[in-house]
Amino acid sequence: MVRVVILALAVALAAAVASAQDPAQPAQSAATPGPDDALNGEQIFGTSCGFCHQAGGRVAGRGPKLAGTERSDEFLLNRIRVGKEGAMPAYGRAFTEPQLKALVAYIRSLKDDAR
Amino acid sequence: MTGNRRALNTAALAMVMLVAGACSMSTSETASGPGTARASMADASGNDWTTYHGSYQSWHYSPLTQINTDNVKKLRVAWVHHPGRSTRGLQSMPLVQDGVLYYTGSYSRVWALDAATGTPLWSYFPKLDDDLVAAQTHSPYTRGIALGHGKVFVGTVDGRLIAIDMKTGQPAWDTKLVDSKKLTVGFTGAPLLVKDKVVIGSQGGEWPGRGPIFGVDAASGRKVWEFLTVAGTEEAKKTWGGESWKTGGGGGWMAGGYDPETNTVWWGTGNPAPLYDWAGTEWKTTGPRPGDNLYTTSVIALDPDTGKLKFYHQELPHDAWDFDSAVGEFVMLDRDGRKLVVHPNKGGHVFVYDRKDASVVNVWQLAKNINFVKGIDPKTGALIGRRDLPLGKHSNLCPAIAGGMSWNSGAYSPKTGLYYKIGQEWCMDLEVIKTTPVLEPQAQLDIGANFTLRNPEGGKAHGHLSGRDPVTGAKKWEVMYPEPPLASLLATGGNLVFVPDPRGMLRAYNAETGQELWSHNNGIGHNGGIISYSAKGKQYIAVATGWGSLVGDEFGALFGEPYKSMPKDAGALVVFTLE
Repeated sequence: MVRVVILALAVALAAAVASAQDPAQPAQSAATPGPDDALNGEQIFGTSCGFCHQAGGRVAGRGPKLAGTERSDEFLLNRIRVGKEGAMPAYGRAFTEPQLKALVAYIRSLKDDAR
Repeated sequence: MTGNRRALNTAALAMVMLVAGACSMSTSETASGPGTARASMADASGNDWTTYHGSYQSWHYSPLTQINTDNVKKLRVAWVHHPGRSTRGLQSMPLVQDGVLYYTGSYSRVWALDAATGTPLWSYFPKLDDDLVAAQTHSPYTRGIALGHGKVFVGTVDGRLIAIDMKTGQPAWDTKLVDSKKLTVGFTGAPLLVKDKVVIGSQGGEWPGRGPIFGVDAASGRKVWEFLTVAGTEEAKKTWGGESWKTGGGGGWMAGGYDPETNTVWWGTGNPAPLYDWAGTEWKTTGPRPGDNLYTTSVIALDPDTGKLKFYHQELPHDAWDFDSAVGEFVMLDRDGRKLVVHPNKGGHVFVYDRKDASVVNVWQLAKNINFVKGIDPKTGALIGRRDLPLGKHSNLCPAIAGGMSWNSGAYSPKTGLYYKIGQEWCMDLEVIKTTPVLEPQAQLDIGANFTLRNPEGGKAHGHLSGRDPVTGAKKWEVMYPEPPLASLLATGGNLVFVPDPRGMLRAYNAETGQELWSHNNGIGHNGGIISYSAKGKQYIAVATGWGSLVGDEFGALFGEPYKSMPKDAGALVVFTLE
């Protein structure tokens, strides 16, 4: 049962990613983003971002603390898409626009009181 | 636990005799001579440093005595070279042959300089896949190069191995080995020249691939063999539940060692993915990767001609803490007539192996704060009291993900008989979560936990340098550091140990006593290599400077200044000599 769920999630994620608009990519079969699990910002964050943004983004570590950040949504979206040389990878090809927005929503949801 | 043992067959015996013959050649052979003979003989004169670890014995030792405990106070900068664009600092080990110094900067930029003056002779900047590099975490650094057959060999983070003509700086061949666009990783480690082959291992670990190690023909660049550190044999595949071997991680991302007597390449492999296992103590039967996960977090012995596995020891079966065996050096020394290999594991233990079959001779603890196991049996290497971490929150796991030891090398001095090594003391709180490997459109990190580094309970995060008996671990002397040095060490015949520290000071110690004799401020932290060589009758110490490795990234939050303000895009090669 667990394996079926994992497989479904992987397929949904792959489909969501395949639908990303990117003129540099070869043409891919049209696919709409999957159900809510593909837009689960907390889950995406835990898989890919937690390596550097410690405690789920609540404290500074390799990356800056994200909870309570004063950066605009525009800045955050751009930073995730493009990265920062020698500091953060570019995720623009890895995540769809809805996923990027879900990540920003997750960051906004973090309470700035963790130590 | 050791794997298969293979008796030397006739072909291997012939190879050994050929190598033994080459080793008896005089030291005046030309630069075009076989790589094997040069590397083995680097110890003899000390004029050159022709392989990453100083010699195949991996001592990180120079026999030169011109600079010594009596005159090191007079050490001063001879010259500096700026390679430019030193993203994440210089992490590489320079090499020197016949008065020419070769080294790499970030983005696998290769430089050849006059070793006495620093005058550039040529440079070669490979064109990298910039979009791919931008999407990588463990990038854009390279730990160094190999020399031989008139060529300089360098790996790239976009999965290629390149050969460059030593004299002209023109590329001789450029071979794509890893589908880095798909796997996201490539090569950050230095290659190792072994006879007519160049051996190089790819990244792996938290990146869900199968971590190949390659043997490439030095003359043509043709791939001759590939060994998959994840489930590379039928026996190994059985140690991965379900299909977890497909995304196992592993890798062999640092240069290993070579034993010419038995024609055996020793290599360390990376950890499995995901790093942390939500199944906790049930890992044998359930979770993301049930089983021992061979050959991750192991030392493996390969035949350099075929890439076949000769034997191995898995330092941490089912590694659930990201404590690679890919780090560090394979110090080859003899003790009481027994040939040994001393190898540090990232978790903070040092393993001592019989060189003929990797059977465990001893295991000793270097890092103090260790609780991921209660201990490791010194006779068998079996883990005692492993701390498996199921789904949920855990506090004070020691050491932290940054390890009790890191990837740079320690040094061994045959004069003092001591092994010099940096230990790291820090712990972490974590929350283990469930993850699914993401492979499309390209592989993403598969960590398995959110974590925060912290001081050990009742203590403060710090580092230490100690002079140890390499076999027993008995400590002769120790120097404390407020933050762990992250660079490689150098021991010399002048009875000195050089430590490039993280604040920017290069320090020289009396190798017998640990007394600090000299220091110099290089202006930025160190996280790369250091060597000594001779040019035009003078001895030089060359050290890579620059900051910004992934472990170094932790320092700002953990220790504050000077790390919060330390640049991560700077670094130069600084070379010292006596005034």
